[in-house]
Amino acid sequence: MASTPAIVVSGLSKSFGSLQALSEVSFAVPRGEIFAYLGPNGAGKSTTIRILAGLLQRDAGEVNICGADVAQNPVFVKERIGVVPDESNLYPELTCRRNLEYLGELYGLRRGARTLKAGDLLSRFDLADREHTPFGALSRGLKRRLTIAAALVHDPAVIFLDEPTSGLDVASARALRELIRTINRQGATVFLTTHNLYEAEDLSHRVLILIKGRVAAQGTPREIRQRVQGLNLLAATFSQEIDPMHLLQACPAVLRVSPQNGSWRLEVAETHAALEQILAFAGKADLRLKEINTVVASLEDAFLSFLEGHPPESEARP
Amino acid sequence: MSQFRRVWAISLKDIESYYGKPPLITWGLLFPAVLLLSVYVKDPATYLAIAPGIIAMTLLFGNTSMAAIVVTFEKRAGTLQRLLLAPLSMRTIVLGKALSASAYGLVSALALTLVLMLVLAMPLANPPIFAAGLMLGAGCFSLLGLTASVMVREVFEAMTLLNFFRFPILFISGVFMPLSQLPYWLKPLALTSPLTYVVELLNFGVTGRSEFTTPLIPLLAGLLFLLASWLLTEATFRRRAYA
Repeated sequence: MASTPAIVVSGLSKSFGSLQALSEVSFAVPRGEIFAYLGPNGAGKSTTIRILAGLLQRDAGEVNICGADVAQNPVFVKERIGVVPDESNLYPELTCRRNLEYLGELYGLRRGARTLKAGDLLSRFDLADREHTPFGALSRGLKRRLTIAAALVHDPAVIFLDEPTSGLDVASARALRELIRTINRQGATVFLTTHNLYEAEDLSHRVLILIKGRVAAQGTPREIRQRVQGLNLLAATFSQEIDPMHLLQACPAVLRVSPQNGSWRLEVAETHAALEQILAFAGKADLRLKEINTVVASLEDAFLSFLEGHPPESEARP
Repeated sequence: MSQFRRVWAISLKDIESYYGKPPLITWGLLFPAVLLLSVYVKDPATYLAIAPGIIAMTLLFGNTSMAAIVVTFEKRAGTLQRLLLAPLSMRTIVLGKALSASAYGLVSALALTLVLMLVLAMPLANPPIFAAGLMLGAGCFSLLGLTASVMVREVFEAMTLLNFFRFPILFISGVFMPLSQLPYWLKPLALTSPLTYVVELLNFGVTGRSEFTTPLIPLLAGLLFLLASWLLTEATFRRRAYA
Protein backbone atom coordinates (compact mmCIF):
# COMPACT_ATOMS: atom_id res chain seq x y z
CA MET A 1 0.00 0.00 0.00
CA ALA A 2 2.80 2.39 0.90
CA SER A 3 4.35 1.90 -2.55
CA THR A 4 1.17 2.82 -4.45
CA PRO A 5 1.23 6.41 -5.74
CA ALA A 6 -0.82 8.88 -3.74
CA ILE A 7 -2.77 9.92 -6.82
CA VAL A 8 -3.16 8.20 -10.18
CA VAL A 9 -5.28 9.90 -12.84
CA SER A 10 -5.66 8.27 -16.23
CA GLY A 11 -7.62 9.52 -19.25
CA LEU A 12 -9.74 11.85 -17.13
CA SER A 13 -12.36 13.73 -19.16
CA LYS A 14 -15.18 16.00 -18.11
CA SER A 15 -17.45 18.29 -20.07
CA PHE A 16 -20.16 20.75 -19.08
CA GLY A 17 -22.62 20.80 -21.96
CA SER A 18 -20.60 21.66 -25.05
CA LEU A 19 -17.61 22.87 -23.00
CA GLN A 20 -14.86 20.28 -22.73
CA ALA A 21 -13.36 21.12 -19.32
CA LEU A 22 -10.90 18.21 -19.15
CA SER A 23 -9.73 16.01 -21.98
CA GLU A 24 -7.74 12.81 -21.47
CA VAL A 25 -5.79 14.14 -18.50
CA SER A 26 -3.29 11.65 -17.08
CA PHE A 27 -0.70 11.98 -14.33
CA ALA A 28 0.55 10.24 -11.21
CA VAL A 29 1.76 11.75 -7.95
CA PRO A 30 4.08 9.60 -5.81
CA ARG A 31 3.63 9.72 -2.05
CA GLY A 32 5.45 12.50 -0.24
CA GLU A 33 5.65 14.81 -3.25
CA ILE A 34 4.55 18.42 -3.68
CA PHE A 35 2.87 18.45 -7.08
CA ALA A 36 1.95 21.78 -8.66
CA TYR A 37 -1.00 21.75 -11.03
CA LEU A 38 -0.77 24.91 -13.10
CA GLY A 39 -2.86 26.53 -15.76
CA PRO A 40 -4.53 29.79 -16.70
CA ASN A 41 -8.05 30.62 -15.50
CA GLY A 42 -10.56 28.18 -16.94
CA ALA A 43 -7.91 25.54 -17.71
CA GLY A 44 -9.73 22.94 -15.58
CA LYS A 45 -7.67 23.00 -12.37
CA SER A 46 -10.57 23.39 -9.95
CA THR A 47 -12.64 20.89 -11.94
CA THR A 48 -9.82 18.36 -11.47
CA ILE A 49 -9.68 19.00 -7.72
CA ARG A 50 -13.47 18.68 -7.45
CA ILE A 51 -13.36 15.33 -9.23
CA LEU A 52 -10.40 14.10 -7.15
CA ALA A 53 -12.15 15.16 -3.94
CA GLY A 54 -15.35 13.34 -4.89
CA LEU A 55 -17.40 16.51 -5.36
CA LEU A 56 -17.95 16.08 -9.09
CA GLN A 57 -18.51 13.03 -11.28
CA ARG A 58 -16.20 12.44 -14.21
CA ASP A 59 -17.35 11.55 -17.70
CA ALA A 60 -14.47 9.15 -18.40
CA GLY A 61 -11.15 7.99 -17.03
CA GLU A 62 -9.75 6.56 -13.83
CA VAL A 63 -9.08 8.39 -10.58
CA ASN A 64 -7.31 6.50 -7.80
CA ILE A 65 -6.32 8.07 -4.52
CA CYS A 66 -4.33 6.01 -2.04
CA GLY A 67 -5.24 2.94 -4.07
CA ALA A 68 -9.01 3.45 -4.20
CA ASP A 69 -11.32 4.83 -6.85
CA VAL A 70 -12.96 7.98 -5.55
CA ALA A 71 -16.26 7.23 -7.31
CA GLN A 72 -16.40 3.61 -6.10
CA ASN A 73 -15.24 4.19 -2.54
CA PRO A 74 -15.79 7.85 -1.66
CA VAL A 75 -15.78 7.42 2.12
CA PHE A 76 -12.42 5.56 2.07
CA VAL A 77 -10.90 8.30 -0.11
CA LYS A 78 -12.41 11.19 1.89
CA GLU A 79 -10.93 9.75 5.09
CA ARG A 80 -7.48 10.05 3.48
CA ILE A 81 -7.65 13.48 1.86
CA GLY A 82 -7.79 17.04 3.14
CA VAL A 83 -9.06 19.80 0.87
CA VAL A 84 -8.36 23.53 1.13
CA PRO A 85 -10.68 25.20 -1.38
CA ASP A 86 -9.81 28.52 -3.04
CA GLU A 87 -12.23 30.30 -0.67
CA SER A 88 -11.79 29.84 3.09
CA ASN A 89 -15.06 28.15 3.98
CA LEU A 90 -15.22 27.28 7.65
CA TYR A 91 -18.21 28.10 9.83
CA PRO A 92 -18.12 31.87 10.45
CA GLU A 93 -20.14 31.77 13.68
CA LEU A 94 -18.03 29.05 15.32
CA THR A 95 -14.79 29.81 17.14
CA CYS A 96 -11.49 28.59 15.74
CA ARG A 97 -11.34 25.76 18.27
CA ARG A 98 -14.97 24.71 17.77
CA ASN A 99 -14.47 24.63 13.98
CA LEU A 100 -11.54 22.23 14.35
CA GLU A 101 -13.32 20.10 16.95
CA TYR A 102 -16.50 19.90 14.85
CA LEU A 103 -14.56 18.81 11.78
CA GLY A 104 -12.73 16.29 13.96
CA GLU A 105 -16.13 14.87 14.92
CA LEU A 106 -17.14 14.59 11.27
CA TYR A 107 -13.92 12.67 10.58
CA GLY A 108 -14.64 10.28 13.43
CA LEU A 109 -12.15 11.50 16.06
CA ARG A 110 -13.13 10.73 19.65
CA ARG A 111 -13.63 13.60 22.07
CA GLY A 112 -10.21 13.42 23.74
CA ALA A 113 -8.39 13.00 20.43
CA ARG A 114 -10.11 15.93 18.76
CA THR A 115 -9.54 18.23 21.74
CA LEU A 116 -5.83 17.38 21.62
CA LYS A 117 -5.69 17.70 17.84
CA ALA A 118 -7.43 21.08 17.85
CA GLY A 119 -5.00 22.40 20.48
CA ASP A 120 -2.02 21.03 18.56
CA LEU A 121 -3.16 22.56 15.25
CA LEU A 122 -3.93 25.92 16.87
CA SER A 123 -0.39 25.97 18.27
CA ARG A 124 1.29 24.78 15.06
CA PHE A 125 -0.53 27.38 12.99
CA ASP A 126 0.13 30.12 15.53
CA LEU A 127 -3.55 30.59 16.29
CA ALA A 128 -3.56 29.57 19.96
CA ASP A 129 -4.38 33.11 21.09
CA ARG A 130 -7.39 33.14 18.72
CA GLU A 131 -8.93 29.85 19.79
CA HIS A 132 -12.10 31.56 21.09
CA THR A 133 -12.38 34.04 18.18
CA PRO A 134 -15.16 33.28 15.69
CA PHE A 135 -13.79 32.29 12.28
CA GLY A 136 -15.80 35.12 10.67
CA ALA A 137 -13.90 37.70 12.74
CA LEU A 138 -10.42 36.62 11.55
CA SER A 139 -8.34 38.46 8.96
CA ARG A 140 -8.02 36.93 5.50
CA GLY A 141 -4.57 35.53 6.25
CA LEU A 142 -5.65 33.96 9.54
CA LYS A 143 -8.76 32.51 7.89
CA ARG A 144 -6.53 30.88 5.29
CA ARG A 145 -4.29 29.47 8.01
CA LEU A 146 -7.22 28.01 9.94
CA THR A 147 -8.70 26.55 6.73
CA ILE A 148 -5.42 24.74 6.09
CA ALA A 149 -5.30 23.60 9.71
CA ALA A 150 -8.86 22.28 9.36
CA ALA A 151 -7.82 20.16 6.38
CA LEU A 152 -5.22 18.47 8.59
CA VAL A 153 -7.50 17.61 11.49
CA HIS A 154 -7.61 13.92 10.50
CA ASP A 155 -3.93 13.66 9.41
CA PRO A 156 -4.70 13.11 5.71
CA ALA A 157 -2.25 11.31 3.44
CA VAL A 158 -2.99 13.72 0.60
CA ILE A 159 -3.80 17.40 0.88
CA PHE A 160 -5.27 19.47 -1.96
CA LEU A 161 -4.47 23.16 -1.80
CA ASP A 162 -6.40 25.32 -4.27
CA GLU A 163 -4.70 28.75 -4.57
CA PRO A 164 -3.50 28.68 -0.93
CA THR A 165 -1.79 32.07 -0.94
CA SER A 166 -4.08 34.03 -3.25
CA GLY A 167 -4.99 37.43 -1.82
CA LEU A 168 -2.48 37.23 1.04
CA ASP A 169 0.15 39.84 1.87
CA VAL A 170 3.80 38.95 1.26
CA ALA A 171 4.58 38.01 4.86
CA SER A 172 1.48 35.82 5.25
CA ALA A 173 2.12 34.13 1.89
CA ARG A 174 5.72 33.40 2.86
CA ALA A 175 4.65 31.99 6.23
CA LEU A 176 2.06 29.80 4.51
CA ARG A 177 4.63 28.46 2.05
CA GLU A 178 6.78 27.45 4.98
CA LEU A 179 3.79 25.71 6.53
CA ILE A 180 3.17 23.82 3.29
CA ARG A 181 6.79 22.64 3.31
CA THR A 182 6.42 21.53 6.92
CA ILE A 183 3.21 19.63 6.17
CA ASN A 184 5.00 17.89 3.30
CA ARG A 185 8.06 17.09 5.42
CA GLN A 186 5.75 15.43 7.92
CA GLY A 187 4.71 12.98 5.21
CA ALA A 188 1.67 14.39 3.45
CA THR A 189 1.49 14.47 -0.34
CA VAL A 190 0.58 17.99 -1.45
CA PHE A 191 -1.42 18.70 -4.61
CA LEU A 192 -1.15 22.42 -5.19
CA THR A 193 -2.79 24.77 -7.67
CA THR A 194 -1.51 28.30 -7.91
CA HIS A 195 -1.24 31.22 -10.32
CA ASN A 196 2.00 32.20 -8.62
CA LEU A 197 4.61 30.41 -10.72
CA TYR A 198 7.49 31.49 -8.49
CA GLU A 199 5.65 29.80 -5.64
CA ALA A 200 5.16 26.65 -7.73
CA GLU A 201 8.83 26.62 -8.71
CA ASP A 202 9.92 27.26 -5.14
CA LEU A 203 7.71 24.61 -3.52
CA SER A 204 7.05 21.78 -5.89
CA HIS A 205 8.95 18.64 -6.79
CA ARG A 206 7.01 18.25 -10.02
CA VAL A 207 4.74 20.41 -12.12
CA LEU A 208 1.92 19.83 -14.57
CA ILE A 209 0.77 22.57 -16.96
CA LEU A 210 -2.84 22.29 -18.02
CA ILE A 211 -4.12 24.39 -20.90
CA LYS A 212 -7.73 24.26 -22.09
CA GLY A 213 -8.30 21.01 -20.23
CA ARG A 214 -5.32 19.22 -21.79
CA VAL A 215 -1.92 18.41 -20.34
CA ALA A 216 0.57 20.72 -22.06
CA ALA A 217 3.63 19.59 -20.09
CA GLN A 218 4.65 17.78 -16.94
CA GLY A 219 7.95 17.12 -15.20
CA THR A 220 10.23 18.71 -12.64
CA PRO A 221 10.44 22.54 -12.80
CA ARG A 222 13.98 22.09 -14.20
CA GLU A 223 12.75 19.74 -16.93
CA ILE A 224 9.98 22.15 -17.88
CA ARG A 225 12.43 25.07 -18.03
CA GLN A 226 14.83 23.06 -20.17
CA ARG A 227 12.14 22.66 -22.81
CA VAL A 228 12.25 26.39 -23.47
CA GLN A 229 15.99 26.96 -23.26
CA GLY A 230 15.89 28.00 -26.93
CA LEU A 231 14.03 31.16 -25.93
CA ASN A 232 16.01 34.42 -26.05
CA LEU A 233 14.67 36.61 -23.30
CA LEU A 234 15.46 40.16 -22.25
CA ALA A 235 14.15 42.22 -19.35
CA ALA A 236 14.11 45.96 -20.16
CA THR A 237 13.22 48.99 -18.06
CA PHE A 238 12.58 52.35 -19.71
CA SER A 239 12.55 55.80 -18.13
CA GLN A 240 8.90 56.28 -19.12
CA GLU A 241 5.86 54.19 -20.00
CA ILE A 242 6.03 52.74 -23.51
CA ASP A 243 3.38 51.46 -25.86
CA PRO A 244 4.29 47.80 -26.48
CA MET A 245 2.73 47.94 -29.95
CA HIS A 246 5.11 50.80 -30.89
CA LEU A 247 8.05 48.77 -29.61
CA LEU A 248 6.99 45.75 -31.66
CA GLN A 249 6.60 47.90 -34.78
CA ALA A 250 10.01 49.55 -34.30
CA CYS A 251 11.90 46.37 -33.43
CA PRO A 252 11.35 43.46 -35.86
CA ALA A 253 13.68 41.26 -33.82
CA VAL A 254 11.34 41.47 -30.83
CA LEU A 255 8.70 38.77 -31.09
CA ARG A 256 6.66 39.31 -27.95
CA VAL A 257 6.38 41.92 -25.18
CA SER A 258 4.76 41.50 -21.81
CA PRO A 259 4.94 43.43 -18.54
CA GLN A 260 6.77 41.70 -15.70
CA ASN A 261 7.48 43.14 -12.25
CA GLY A 262 7.79 46.77 -13.39
CA SER A 263 9.88 46.00 -16.45
CA TRP A 264 9.18 44.56 -19.89
CA ARG A 265 9.84 40.93 -20.72
CA LEU A 266 10.93 40.72 -24.34
CA GLU A 267 11.06 37.49 -26.29
CA VAL A 268 13.50 38.13 -29.12
CA ALA A 269 14.57 36.29 -32.28
CA GLU A 270 18.22 37.33 -32.03
CA THR A 271 19.69 39.17 -29.06
CA HIS A 272 22.26 41.43 -30.80
CA ALA A 273 19.83 42.72 -33.43
CA ALA A 274 17.13 43.20 -30.84
CA LEU A 275 19.47 45.26 -28.63
CA GLU A 276 20.35 47.57 -31.50
CA GLN A 277 16.71 48.02 -32.46
CA ILE A 278 15.61 48.65 -28.85
CA LEU A 279 18.31 51.32 -28.40
CA ALA A 280 17.25 52.95 -31.66
CA PHE A 281 13.61 52.84 -30.56
CA ALA A 282 14.51 54.48 -27.23
CA GLY A 283 16.54 57.18 -28.96
CA LYS A 284 13.75 58.00 -31.41
CA ALA A 285 11.08 58.09 -28.72
CA ASP A 286 13.28 60.25 -26.48
CA LEU A 287 13.35 57.56 -23.79
CA ARG A 288 16.21 56.34 -21.66
CA LEU A 289 16.85 52.64 -21.40
CA LYS A 290 17.41 52.39 -17.65
CA GLU A 291 18.25 48.72 -17.51
CA ILE A 292 18.38 45.72 -19.83
CA ASN A 293 19.36 42.17 -18.94
CA THR A 294 19.36 38.78 -20.56
CA VAL A 295 17.10 36.43 -18.66
CA VAL A 296 17.35 32.69 -18.01
CA ALA A 297 14.01 31.08 -18.78
CA SER A 298 12.00 30.58 -15.60
CA LEU A 299 9.02 28.35 -15.01
CA GLU A 300 6.90 31.41 -15.75
CA ASP A 301 8.62 31.84 -19.12
CA ALA A 302 8.05 28.19 -19.88
CA PHE A 303 4.42 28.54 -18.83
CA LEU A 304 3.98 31.57 -21.09
CA SER A 305 5.60 29.80 -24.01
CA PHE A 306 3.18 26.88 -23.57
CA LEU A 307 0.37 29.41 -23.65
CA GLU A 308 1.67 30.76 -26.97
CA GLY A 309 -1.13 31.36 -29.33
CA HIS A 310 -3.37 32.29 -26.40
CA PRO A 311 -1.27 34.85 -24.49
CA PRO A 312 -3.40 36.27 -21.68
CA GLU A 313 -1.67 39.55 -20.90
CA SER A 314 1.04 40.01 -23.48
CA GLU A 315 1.33 41.77 -26.79
CA ALA A 316 2.38 39.48 -29.59
CA ARG A 317 3.53 40.35 -33.07
CA PRO A 318 0.46 40.00 -35.33
CA MET B 1 -17.41 6.37 15.39
CA SER B 2 -20.60 5.33 13.66
CA GLN B 3 -22.40 7.46 11.12
CA PHE B 4 -25.16 7.86 13.74
CA ARG B 5 -22.81 9.84 16.01
CA ARG B 6 -21.94 12.05 13.07
CA VAL B 7 -25.67 12.66 12.48
CA TRP B 8 -25.79 13.83 16.07
CA ALA B 9 -22.71 16.03 15.59
CA ILE B 10 -24.23 17.76 12.54
CA SER B 11 -27.50 18.35 14.39
CA LEU B 12 -25.88 19.75 17.51
CA LYS B 13 -23.73 22.09 15.44
CA ASP B 14 -26.78 23.38 13.54
CA ILE B 15 -28.74 23.87 16.75
CA GLU B 16 -25.78 25.78 18.21
CA SER B 17 -25.31 27.88 15.07
CA TYR B 18 -28.86 28.54 13.92
CA TYR B 19 -31.85 26.96 15.63
CA GLY B 20 -30.90 27.54 19.23
CA LYS B 21 -30.95 31.34 18.91
CA PRO B 22 -33.71 32.76 21.15
CA PRO B 23 -34.91 35.35 18.54
CA LEU B 24 -35.63 32.53 16.11
CA ILE B 25 -37.72 30.58 18.59
CA THR B 26 -39.58 33.75 19.59
CA TRP B 27 -40.29 34.51 15.93
CA GLY B 28 -41.59 30.98 15.39
CA LEU B 29 -44.00 31.47 18.28
CA LEU B 30 -45.16 35.03 17.74
CA PHE B 31 -47.23 34.72 14.57
CA PRO B 32 -49.28 31.63 15.51
CA ALA B 33 -49.80 32.86 19.08
CA VAL B 34 -51.13 36.23 17.90
CA LEU B 35 -53.36 34.52 15.30
CA LEU B 36 -54.86 32.22 17.92
CA LEU B 37 -55.32 34.98 20.47
CA SER B 38 -57.17 37.10 17.93
CA VAL B 39 -59.54 34.18 17.21
CA TYR B 40 -59.96 33.63 20.93
CA VAL B 41 -60.77 37.29 21.60
CA LYS B 42 -63.43 37.24 18.87
CA ASP B 43 -65.05 33.97 19.99
CA PRO B 44 -63.55 32.02 22.93
CA ALA B 45 -65.74 29.01 22.11
CA THR B 46 -64.31 28.35 18.64
CA TYR B 47 -60.57 28.77 19.13
CA LEU B 48 -60.20 25.09 20.01
CA ALA B 49 -61.46 24.10 16.57
CA ILE B 50 -58.51 25.75 14.87
CA ALA B 51 -55.79 25.45 17.56
CA PRO B 52 -54.48 22.04 16.30
CA GLY B 53 -54.47 23.40 12.76
CA ILE B 54 -52.50 26.47 13.81
CA ILE B 55 -49.96 24.31 15.64
CA ALA B 56 -49.62 22.18 12.49
CA MET B 57 -49.24 25.35 10.42
CA THR B 58 -46.46 26.49 12.77
CA LEU B 59 -44.67 23.22 12.08
CA LEU B 60 -45.25 23.49 8.33
CA PHE B 61 -43.96 27.04 7.92
CA GLY B 62 -41.29 26.93 10.62
CA ASN B 63 -39.71 23.66 9.57
CA THR B 64 -39.82 24.05 5.81
CA SER B 65 -38.51 27.63 6.01
CA MET B 66 -35.74 27.06 8.51
CA ALA B 67 -34.45 23.87 6.90
CA ALA B 68 -34.40 25.59 3.53
CA ILE B 69 -32.77 28.77 4.84
CA VAL B 70 -30.01 26.93 6.69
CA VAL B 71 -29.01 24.72 3.77
CA THR B 72 -29.25 27.52 1.17
CA PHE B 73 -27.14 29.73 3.45
CA GLU B 74 -24.56 26.98 3.88
CA LYS B 75 -24.47 26.40 0.14
CA ARG B 76 -23.74 30.08 -0.46
CA ALA B 77 -21.14 30.28 2.30
CA GLY B 78 -19.45 27.13 1.01
CA THR B 79 -19.82 25.39 4.36
CA LEU B 80 -22.14 22.69 2.96
CA GLN B 81 -19.08 21.65 0.94
CA ARG B 82 -17.37 20.83 4.27
CA LEU B 83 -19.97 18.11 4.85
CA LEU B 84 -19.65 16.84 1.29
CA LEU B 85 -15.85 16.61 1.66
CA ALA B 86 -16.07 14.70 4.93
CA PRO B 87 -16.36 10.89 5.00
CA LEU B 88 -20.13 10.98 5.47
CA SER B 89 -22.84 9.17 3.58
CA MET B 90 -25.55 11.34 2.03
CA ARG B 91 -28.00 9.70 4.43
CA THR B 92 -25.93 10.96 7.38
CA ILE B 93 -25.95 14.52 6.03
CA VAL B 94 -29.70 14.50 5.32
CA LEU B 95 -30.55 12.98 8.70
CA GLY B 96 -28.28 15.40 10.55
CA LYS B 97 -29.84 18.41 8.86
CA ALA B 98 -33.40 17.08 9.24
CA LEU B 99 -32.93 16.20 12.90
CA SER B 100 -31.88 19.73 13.89
CA ALA B 101 -34.67 21.36 11.85
CA SER B 102 -37.18 18.94 13.39
CA ALA B 103 -35.92 19.74 16.88
CA TYR B 104 -36.46 23.44 16.18
CA GLY B 105 -40.00 22.78 14.94
CA LEU B 106 -40.80 20.57 17.92
CA VAL B 107 -39.55 23.13 20.43
CA SER B 108 -41.55 25.92 18.74
CA ALA B 109 -44.72 23.82 18.57
CA LEU B 110 -44.33 22.58 22.16
CA ALA B 111 -43.77 26.13 23.39
CA LEU B 112 -46.92 27.26 21.56
CA THR B 113 -48.83 24.30 23.04
CA LEU B 114 -47.60 25.18 26.51
CA VAL B 115 -48.70 28.82 26.08
CA LEU B 116 -52.13 27.68 24.91
CA MET B 117 -52.48 25.26 27.81
CA LEU B 118 -51.41 27.84 30.38
CA VAL B 119 -53.14 30.93 29.00
CA LEU B 120 -56.28 29.50 27.33
CA ALA B 121 -56.53 26.23 29.29
CA MET B 122 -56.30 24.17 26.09
CA PRO B 123 -56.89 20.48 26.92
CA LEU B 124 -54.66 17.62 25.85
CA ALA B 125 -56.93 14.58 25.57
CA ASN B 126 -54.36 12.18 24.14
CA PRO B 127 -50.75 13.31 24.66
CA PRO B 128 -49.07 10.33 22.86
CA ILE B 129 -51.08 10.90 19.67
CA PHE B 130 -50.43 14.64 19.96
CA ALA B 131 -46.68 13.95 20.30
CA ALA B 132 -46.78 11.55 17.33
CA GLY B 133 -48.47 14.24 15.22
CA LEU B 134 -45.83 16.79 16.18
CA MET B 135 -42.95 14.43 15.42
CA LEU B 136 -44.32 13.23 12.09
CA GLY B 137 -45.06 16.80 11.01
CA ALA B 138 -41.67 18.11 12.11
CA GLY B 139 -39.82 15.32 10.31
CA CYS B 140 -41.85 15.42 7.13
CA PHE B 141 -41.81 19.22 6.75
CA SER B 142 -38.09 19.50 7.58
CA LEU B 143 -37.30 17.00 4.86
CA LEU B 144 -39.46 18.86 2.34
CA GLY B 145 -37.67 22.12 3.24
CA LEU B 146 -34.33 20.38 2.67
CA THR B 147 -35.49 19.11 -0.72
CA ALA B 148 -36.43 22.64 -1.81
CA SER B 149 -33.12 24.03 -0.56
CA VAL B 150 -30.91 21.85 -2.79
CA MET B 151 -33.00 22.54 -5.88
CA VAL B 152 -32.25 26.29 -5.86
CA ARG B 153 -29.40 28.71 -5.20
CA GLU B 154 -31.06 31.59 -3.31
CA VAL B 155 -33.22 31.69 -0.18
CA PHE B 156 -35.98 33.62 -1.96
CA GLU B 157 -36.11 30.93 -4.66
CA ALA B 158 -36.50 28.27 -1.98
CA MET B 159 -39.32 30.25 -0.37
CA THR B 160 -41.07 30.74 -3.71
CA LEU B 161 -40.79 27.05 -4.48
CA LEU B 162 -42.10 26.11 -1.03
CA ASN B 163 -44.99 28.58 -1.24
CA PHE B 164 -46.31 26.79 -4.33
CA PHE B 165 -46.73 23.81 -2.05
CA ARG B 166 -47.47 25.36 1.34
CA PHE B 167 -50.30 27.78 0.59
CA PRO B 168 -52.49 25.42 -1.46
CA ILE B 169 -52.25 22.63 1.14
CA LEU B 170 -53.01 25.10 3.92
CA PHE B 171 -56.52 25.50 2.52
CA ILE B 172 -57.29 21.85 1.83
CA SER B 173 -55.86 20.20 4.92
CA GLY B 174 -58.41 21.07 7.58
CA VAL B 175 -56.41 23.87 9.20
CA PHE B 176 -59.19 26.47 9.08
CA MET B 177 -62.10 24.27 8.05
CA PRO B 178 -62.82 20.64 9.05
CA LEU B 179 -62.40 18.08 6.28
CA SER B 180 -66.10 17.20 6.50
CA GLN B 181 -67.02 20.78 5.54
CA LEU B 182 -64.77 20.91 2.46
CA PRO B 183 -66.47 20.83 -0.95
CA TYR B 184 -66.76 17.21 -2.11
CA TRP B 185 -64.30 17.75 -5.00
CA LEU B 186 -61.59 18.98 -2.62
CA LYS B 187 -61.79 16.03 -0.25
CA PRO B 188 -59.73 13.59 -2.40
CA LEU B 189 -57.10 16.32 -2.77
CA ALA B 190 -57.00 16.79 1.01
CA LEU B 191 -56.03 13.14 1.37
CA THR B 192 -52.91 13.73 -0.73
CA SER B 193 -51.63 16.39 1.70
CA PRO B 194 -49.33 15.37 4.58
CA LEU B 195 -50.63 18.39 6.52
CA THR B 196 -54.10 16.79 6.64
CA TYR B 197 -52.83 13.85 8.69
CA VAL B 198 -50.74 16.04 11.00
CA VAL B 199 -53.76 18.27 11.68
CA GLU B 200 -55.95 15.25 12.36
CA LEU B 201 -53.42 13.68 14.73
CA LEU B 202 -53.12 16.96 16.64
CA ASN B 203 -56.91 17.29 16.63
CA PHE B 204 -57.20 13.85 18.17
CA GLY B 205 -54.47 14.69 20.65
CA VAL B 206 -56.17 17.91 21.77
CA THR B 207 -59.89 17.12 21.62
CA GLY B 208 -59.96 13.32 21.44
CA ARG B 209 -61.95 13.64 18.17
CA SER B 210 -60.88 13.37 14.55
CA GLU B 211 -62.35 13.34 11.06
CA PHE B 212 -61.02 9.80 10.74
CA THR B 213 -62.67 6.94 12.59
CA THR B 214 -59.38 5.92 14.23
CA PRO B 215 -56.10 7.81 14.78
CA LEU B 216 -54.31 4.81 13.24
CA ILE B 217 -55.25 6.01 9.75
CA PRO B 218 -53.58 9.46 9.99
CA LEU B 219 -50.71 7.85 11.93
CA LEU B 220 -49.96 5.34 9.15
CA ALA B 221 -50.50 7.92 6.43
CA GLY B 222 -48.16 10.31 8.27
CA LEU B 223 -45.51 7.58 8.50
CA LEU B 224 -45.84 6.89 4.78
CA PHE B 225 -45.44 10.59 3.99
CA LEU B 226 -42.38 10.73 6.27
CA LEU B 227 -40.81 7.79 4.46
CA ALA B 228 -41.63 9.26 1.04
CA SER B 229 -40.18 12.65 2.05
CA TRP B 230 -37.01 10.99 3.30
CA LEU B 231 -36.53 9.04 0.06
CA LEU B 232 -37.27 12.14 -2.02
CA THR B 233 -34.85 14.31 -0.01
CA GLU B 234 -32.04 11.76 -0.12
CA ALA B 235 -32.47 11.26 -3.87
CA THR B 236 -32.54 15.04 -4.47
CA PHE B 237 -29.44 15.57 -2.30
CA ARG B 238 -27.56 12.85 -4.21
CA ARG B 239 -28.41 14.55 -7.50
CA ARG B 240 -28.17 18.21 -6.55
CA ALA B 241 -26.10 18.78 -3.40
CA TYR B 242 -22.82 18.83 -5.35
CA ALA B 243 -24.09 21.33 -7.95
